[in-house]
Amino acid sequence: MAEQNYFEDVQEGQQLPPIKITPDKQQLVKFAAGSGDFNPLHFDENFPMLKPMGLTENIVHGRFKYAQVGRAVSAFAGYKGRVKKFGVSYRGMDLLNKEITVNGVVTGKRQEGGENLVDLDVWTEDPDGKKTTPGNATVALPSKG
Amino acid sequence: MAQVYFEDVKVGDEVPQLKKNCSTQQLVLWAAGSGDFYQIHYDKDFAQRTGLKGLIVHGALKNAFLGQLLHDWAGEKGHVRKFGCAYRGMDEPDQDILCRGVVTKTYQDGGKNYVELDVWTEKPDGAKTSPGTAVVTLPSKN
Amino acid sequence: MAEEFQITDEMRAQIGKESEPWEYEVTTTSVRMYARGIGSDDPIHYDVDFAKSQGFRSIVAPLGYIGTPVFLPGKNDPTFGFPRREGGPRLNIPFRGLLDGGTETEYFDVICAGDTLVETSHLADLKLRESGRPMLFVTNEAVYKNKETGKVVAKQRLTSIHM
Repeated sequence: MAEQNYFEDVQEGQQLPPIKITPDKQQLVKFAAGSGDFNPLHFDENFPMLKPMGLTENIVHGRFKYAQVGRAVSAFAGYKGRVKKFGVSYRGMDLLNKEITVNGVVTGKRQEGGENLVDLDVWTEDPDGKKTTPGNATVALPSKG
Repeated sequence: MAQVYFEDVKVGDEVPQLKKNCSTQQLVLWAAGSGDFYQIHYDKDFAQRTGLKGLIVHGALKNAFLGQLLHDWAGEKGHVRKFGCAYRGMDEPDQDILCRGVVTKTYQDGGKNYVELDVWTEKPDGAKTSPGTAVVTLPSKN
Repeated sequence: MAEEFQITDEMRAQIGKESEPWEYEVTTTSVRMYARGIGSDDPIHYDVDFAKSQGFRSIVAPLGYIGTPVFLPGKNDPTFGFPRREGGPRLNIPFRGLLDGGTETEYFDVICAGDTLVETSHLADLKLRESGRPMLFVTNEAVYKNKETGKVVAKQRLTSIHM
């Protein structure tokens, strides 16, 4: 587990350590099990909806990418931090067996309602560097003192 | 199904058949429910790399189907005491799997009414893929 | 005809209609399966003793996981699991394609195994975009309350794209 981030140490423009994952079919089936989304779009290469959507391969669940962004935001918050909000838009599709990279950057720090809040831009990238799942998050971090 | 009673059962009786047909979605649901994420049940490339023709149905799922066959027949007042099968032949998704059972023995012991059965799953061509046995206790009419 | 689709007043009138409540369960088994499903190894999602040592009630739900809706055959969608229930919006959408548009979660507390949440949802927005083919963006907002305390623990906004 990453070291705890403290509000005083965080800088605007600071990059989050990237998270990389290459989901194979087993990973997507496990995600179906965990999330309850058993849409064959994500694991059945013969699923009839693939063709009308212009796809030749199974795609990764949008919510799987959301959860990857969640892992990065969680790691940034640490066990002592609290994630207040995080959201993404599913702009591009990501395919099975292709590497997904989660990146993030601190965009601001503020104090509100007695909490030390840090705002982040977070997103997933496909192997070509295309931002397929852009989003943002707000995290409350502990103070050192 | 109406409750079956010990007095109504005799050797040679067949229990009502249960027909199953597994979509790939069903196999993934079983993986989720059982925790068995072995890829030969949903990843065709993986299955073929292990030497299989294509996807196959989990043996344990067929065992579970036989359990369902017995549970449905025993009814609310009956109890399935024991059941098991051998995974002899392979079944594929999107193909009928017929679950069947035949009574082989009936007896009373220690105040309980026992029925023993042969149970099995069958492919459309009649080949028995998962032969097994079961022991069920049934209620008496009185 | 899907090509001539327009958002009707009847559809807009569905906005804000609150559904009947539904229970969502957060269990140790379901938290671990979700964590495995996203490829996380963080012990905070698996090891109860460890989670307690870090000051949590039990293992922590990974971000984005707000419990599994109680599944009742005939009442829940067999593929997606969501409950089809009384009250709430009724939209007749003629498009067959369905894609996830976006997800946003707001947290008011940490969600841990052992929590039972009560969720109500309502239609929050409808937008039609014409870029080549018509695309209907439907946004639902769900509010989750802890069953025991009655407090709101999370809110989620989900956007789906019908085309």
